[in-house]
Amino acid sequence: MKIGLFIPCYINAVYPEVGVASYKLLKHLGLDVDYPLDQTCCGQPMANAGFENESLKLALRMEDLFKQYDYVVGPSASCVAFVKENHPGILEKAGHVCQNSSKIYDICEFLHDVVKPEELPSVFPHKVSIHNSCHGVRELHLSSPSEMNIPYFSKLRDLLQLVKGIEILEPKRIDECCGFGGMFAVEEPEVSVCMGHDKVKDHMSTGAEYITGADSSCLMHMQGVIEREHLPIKTIHITQILAAGL
Amino acid sequence: MSSKESILSRIRSHTGTRYEQPEITLDAIHYEDKTGQFSESLKAAGGAAVVLQAGEDINELIRKHFPDAKRIASNLSEITCATFDPDSVSDPRELNNTDLAIVEGCFGVAENGAVWITQQVKHKALYFISTGLVILINKEDLVNNMHEAYKRVEGTDYKYGFFVSGPSKTADIEQALVFGAHGPMNVLVILR
Amino acid sequence: MSTKHSIAAARFIANRKQEAWHDETLWMVRVKRDKMSHSLPEWERLRELACDIKMYSNSHLDTLLEEFEKNAIANGAIVHWAKDAKEHNEIVEKILQQHNAHTLIKSKSMLTEECGMNEYLFSKGYDIVESDLGERILQWMHLHPSHIVMPAIHIKRQEVGEMMERVLGTEKGNSDPTYLTHAVRKNMREKFLTADVAMTGANFAVASTGEIVVCTNEGNADMGTSFPKVHIATFGMEKIVPNQEALGVFTRLLARSGTGQPITSYTSHYRKPQDGGEFHLIIVDNGRSDILAKPDHIRTLNCIRCGECMNTCPVYRRTGGYSYTYFIPGPIGINLGMLKNPEEYSDNVSACSLCLSCSNVCPVKIDLGEQIYRWRQDLDKIGKASSEKKVMSGGMKFLMERPALFNTALKFAPLVNKSPRFMIYNGLNAWGKGRELPTFAKESFNDMWKKNKIQKP
Repeated sequence: MKIGLFIPCYINAVYPEVGVASYKLLKHLGLDVDYPLDQTCCGQPMANAGFENESLKLALRMEDLFKQYDYVVGPSASCVAFVKENHPGILEKAGHVCQNSSKIYDICEFLHDVVKPEELPSVFPHKVSIHNSCHGVRELHLSSPSEMNIPYFSKLRDLLQLVKGIEILEPKRIDECCGFGGMFAVEEPEVSVCMGHDKVKDHMSTGAEYITGADSSCLMHMQGVIEREHLPIKTIHITQILAAGL
Repeated sequence: MSSKESILSRIRSHTGTRYEQPEITLDAIHYEDKTGQFSESLKAAGGAAVVLQAGEDINELIRKHFPDAKRIASNLSEITCATFDPDSVSDPRELNNTDLAIVEGCFGVAENGAVWITQQVKHKALYFISTGLVILINKEDLVNNMHEAYKRVEGTDYKYGFFVSGPSKTADIEQALVFGAHGPMNVLVILR
Repeated sequence: MSTKHSIAAARFIANRKQEAWHDETLWMVRVKRDKMSHSLPEWERLRELACDIKMYSNSHLDTLLEEFEKNAIANGAIVHWAKDAKEHNEIVEKILQQHNAHTLIKSKSMLTEECGMNEYLFSKGYDIVESDLGERILQWMHLHPSHIVMPAIHIKRQEVGEMMERVLGTEKGNSDPTYLTHAVRKNMREKFLTADVAMTGANFAVASTGEIVVCTNEGNADMGTSFPKVHIATFGMEKIVPNQEALGVFTRLLARSGTGQPITSYTSHYRKPQDGGEFHLIIVDNGRSDILAKPDHIRTLNCIRCGECMNTCPVYRRTGGYSYTYFIPGPIGINLGMLKNPEEYSDNVSACSLCLSCSNVCPVKIDLGEQIYRWRQDLDKIGKASSEKKVMSGGMKFLMERPALFNTALKFAPLVNKSPRFMIYNGLNAWGKGRELPTFAKESFNDMWKKNKIQKP
């Protein structure tokens, strides 16, 4: 199986190390993974702001970039969810049937459901609090949403449990939004910051040293709050933990 | 065109897909010990349930629970501790300042401690105006859940009927729970 | 880029203590709701059924309403139809006139709020007495509800106590909720006994029996209807359910979702007039039939007004009901406002981080968050898109559609990291209000890949 690595715009620009960790991880698991060059953005920021039409060319471009791959795998649940849930509708208006939607995976989902590794060589002797991101939980079903009466599961926890030395925690409001929300973060800045502050505090109350999750966008937002308020906790993308030591 | 006709015609012209009526099939909760569950649910709702024991006198039981009640209303023949028949007053306002009303219910619901009552008194005010309310039901008249409850209600006739689960309550001031917002402050269900 | 919501929200949040209390208190209601929903193994099935029943009933309103009317008339009720708020208010006024009534005692109804009925009747000289405690408090304070189930949730006990000192002569400085509630109980008893006409809303109208069902915890609807000879019940036509079997589903969901109780204290079925009395039923459209023509938004008609979407909404909890411009706040209010008048109520569409928690708690499975997303797509068409946002989005589009330009931008982006702080963190930068900006990587992933820095074994 050929895997095309999907690196969203802000990971490309701000968190390339998350992309590097993802690549190393997939490589380590013996997978045929490649990065189609010159990726930009999936179009989510424009669409969430109310300009879905502006995402059309980007969606078409992604279709083209990944057409030769069996799987598209990316380290950002929200972007993956956008491609999966929204690209089909956007492309339909241009008479194109979306291919990526059925083959795109968040990297955690892909590892958990497709690759199913039984062990990882990683060691991370720290306390981490899992950040269950909204789109990861409620669109990609990476964990059981707290609102629903279904048995608890967490694909992130399952994967982290393969890491040696780690202590896994979760906040009290287990999947409350951190307040990023794309354009929401700047359109409703006071609310967004307030939510981010509350979320970081909730993660801190677990005693964790790190907040980790499948969405760098949430982590970026919380990191911004942490730095502004000089809070004693750090953020780290889950792939960086899973690939620790590789 | 009347308002009714114009509303109906708008509905007809705007209705798109007509969805089918679903068959209501589900595996609804049921309890090994319905009496225990009923009692627990009612307690959580702020009320209380007692089972009348063999040889126990219902009027004594009521008096024991409401020793201070002076003005006691009931139209039930078995209730001898009543001080007046509420059906004998012509104006429901005369029921004000009743300490205790004793009425009959049809059945109880284990999942939520509610009792279904259909109006069996002249003035429905009686159910709400007294400070304490005692509801009598037969101990075999308990259902598991609201699906079973409505099966029992279906096809019966009543002017006014209601499920009552515990006392009147409110949390409108800072979400602090207070009993006796407007209606009864205490509700006791006697399973006889 | 500010919206009326974001400006009002900032004001609410400025009082950090009140905001934190509001957030935590409503969160506790959500926790209670979770406990209730988790106690029923069949919870998700119930939600599915509730949604399916509503999809059926709302796509058969014509036949079900006629069936309801026929049965209600057979029960001895008088049925009225109101196209809009004006007609609704006039029907009520006419009934009051017919009975020479002056005082109307009413239980909580979001529909009368929607119709502006109290204001209308006040202007005609009638006295309207709200009997729900929260609504009564608001009436005394000349305020509107900030939540559809907990209308006075934004008011502190001290404020209530001070107000009651003035209107009821309660003890100075006593703001104990039990004391205050019982003071109102005493005051209201008199009102119940002397009102001329009673009015209630309805949570459900049952087509097969012609009865209406009213759910309250206080018993105020039942008290209110126990003395006057005339009872007027008013409901939006989407309150119709086919039969009592359907009630079995809804009564199990409503209070568990709304307040975390297994059922409200009172679930009252009004079927026939009391002896010698009159029972009026008003079926109200007021825009509902228009929603039927909008397949993307038709599910909003499923709403049973439990209010849980507000309790779970991280934005509502932190901004309060008054930060929204429509009289129903929170996720359902954002949607209903847009359906009522998109030009007027588009300011609420920003009040959503698209977390989708509302869609998951909704007992009738309204796709609340998804619909807000769809409304955002319509803002530009109606000329309500923020121009600043449009420029930002357009700029991103331009950049992202040009990989070479994007790569160049990434190359120079790290320079921003070195900009003087006053240039980055100024009033123009909404991000910088409470957060540090992320720092751009020295080398983007694209660059690293091109230089073969990643692929090395």
